[in-house]
Amino acid sequence: MAGVSRFACVLVAHFAAAAVERCEPALREQPLAVLTQTANIKILADANAAARERDVRSGMTETEAAARCPTLVTRPHIEEHVAAARHALLEAALAVSPRIEDGGAGIVYVDTAGLDRLIGDPEAIGRRLVHQARTVGLVARVGVAGSRTAARVAAASASVPVTVVAPGRERAALAGVPLGVLDLDPPLAATLARWGVRTLGEMAALPREGVTMRLGPAGLRAHDQALGRDHEPFRPWTPPPFWEEAQGVEWEIESLEVLTVVLEPVLTRLCGRLGAAALAADVLDIRLGLASGGHHARVVSLAYPMSEVKPMLALVGLDLEAHPPPAPVTRVAVSAHPIRAQMGQGGLWQPPVPAIRDLVSVLARLAALVGTDSLGSPTLVDSHRPDAFAMLAFSPPTEPDAPAVVGERPARVDAQHVVACAGPWRASGEWWDTEAWARDEWDVALGDGALCRLARDRLTGHWYLDGLYD
Amino acid sequence: MERVAAARGEITEIVGRPSSGRTSLLVACLRDVAQSGETAALVDTEETFDPASAAQAGVDLRRLLWVRCGGRRDVALRAVDMLVRCPGFALVALDLGELVVRLPATLAFRLKFAVRRADVALLIVGRRRLTGASATLAIETRRQAIEWAGPGPAPTRLARVRTTTAVLRARHAPPAESPSRWWRA
Repeated sequence: MAGVSRFACVLVAHFAAAAVERCEPALREQPLAVLTQTANIKILADANAAARERDVRSGMTETEAAARCPTLVTRPHIEEHVAAARHALLEAALAVSPRIEDGGAGIVYVDTAGLDRLIGDPEAIGRRLVHQARTVGLVARVGVAGSRTAARVAAASASVPVTVVAPGRERAALAGVPLGVLDLDPPLAATLARWGVRTLGEMAALPREGVTMRLGPAGLRAHDQALGRDHEPFRPWTPPPFWEEAQGVEWEIESLEVLTVVLEPVLTRLCGRLGAAALAADVLDIRLGLASGGHHARVVSLAYPMSEVKPMLALVGLDLEAHPPPAPVTRVAVSAHPIRAQMGQGGLWQPPVPAIRDLVSVLARLAALVGTDSLGSPTLVDSHRPDAFAMLAFSPPTEPDAPAVVGERPARVDAQHVVACAGPWRASGEWWDTEAWARDEWDVALGDGALCRLARDRLTGHWYLDGLYD
Repeated sequence: MERVAAARGEITEIVGRPSSGRTSLLVACLRDVAQSGETAALVDTEETFDPASAAQAGVDLRRLLWVRCGGRRDVALRAVDMLVRCPGFALVALDLGELVVRLPATLAFRLKFAVRRADVALLIVGRRRLTGASATLAIETRRQAIEWAGPGPAPTRLARVRTTTAVLRARHAPPAESPSRWWRA
């Protein structure tokens, strides 16, 4: 397959409705329509598959749609929902391939060159893309073909999640697809309908020169699409430097409890996006739109890079409890400063300490309870005053303690006293090179009967357990 | 003072009159937890904890979370409730000082199960017992003697105090009295 371009198209049908479903997953099974306000009339901008099964179509008035489907649920069109869902889909695709193209709302093209060695055959790549889209709350179909156009048509016309068009078989695979999938201009579509051209195969069979003479550049583009050819070069998309999720509400939020309920799905979506890109948030910018017309902005510094919803929600909730918005809230927007988190693991022989995510949450709650001044680790200050101390932020050391040393000799190891000690045995080498080493070794007997060898690196001053006699 | 340890996953209570050595016993527990590399939390209801004397007794203050409650009993109990639900602390200590607190049996059982689930030792120090049957071990400290010190015939400082401990309740052993110990003033 080397040298042959292959593209995948990730397609989310009825994208405006899908963006609403992403914010309110409970609406997936119900007929849903997204409305826009035009003059005094509410027009359907989009509808989900359940609504379309009941003959609800875009462009209808709300009244007409409600007459056709009495159980229809409607939501206003909120541009932030669509923009956030569009970014989420792009980031999900970016987790699979570094070369993607934004094909418009609900369409992402993915260059699959080289992915076969990483993921597997085109079917597996398609399944991975569907899975990634699902992690950010979108139900996608994927087409894989030799061109972006063929891949998009394959995805749009299929009823299964993944459709793979064999190399060189694009024209044959597209021949039976209705012409409607190309989203042609209405005048051009009407002309072709009058000619009796209803499928891509019939369009591709038309003489190219004749199409150019009669239909102009738009007809030529449609002819190329019918043949499965790309008209424009691939334009790679790079992620923007911000990560934002927003939620508009139809009522005014006055209590912090209700605001937390609204914040949770926003943070869930944001964390889903961060997780899909293997990132974590360091700082959150909270922007609350107020009923008074103003904004209430808070910057919440997270104690450690996190991508878990629960501690994030607790920290945001506690911050808003300490700094409540001055007026009822009508819109919520949260943006994250992403960083790449370094995974760590505690030592096998170290005693357990509170997990940072648990500790941060409980410290924030305690600070809200007793105040930040009454919480922390005490430290003695250099003063003759008997009650002199200072409070530091609680941050227990994670490294094991070095042996307590009296003079040069080790006196205590962890909780055990050194009862006998022999050393130091000095050794060094390769001092003429960059890998020079020098260490002092001590054989010690501990209070619990253990005999071990300790070593001190003379270059760094670090102590470590070299071995245990047994 | 020799090594002292409160049982993990259990509630231990230390009760006694003022100056009977109950705080010294608490500090000894904090010292041993910190020396073994673990972390401890102290909920100080009346803000009577002295970091200088604790450091002198060998407590590694970096491994101690000190929560000062300004005499508010309800705040102290809520802080303990939060801390015993945070896994990773080896010891959570509640110093009630001279405050007499009545804890409903339901709350005591709630603490007991939280302590067991998080595998943390909960040590409650106060004038009277707090958790009733939920405590695995209850100890009373009693003062026996005191020693004064000074360069001349008139003492200038309290030198040390002799204390004995009596087991009031032990789920796994009958009540008993231990030999008395001296502790530094």
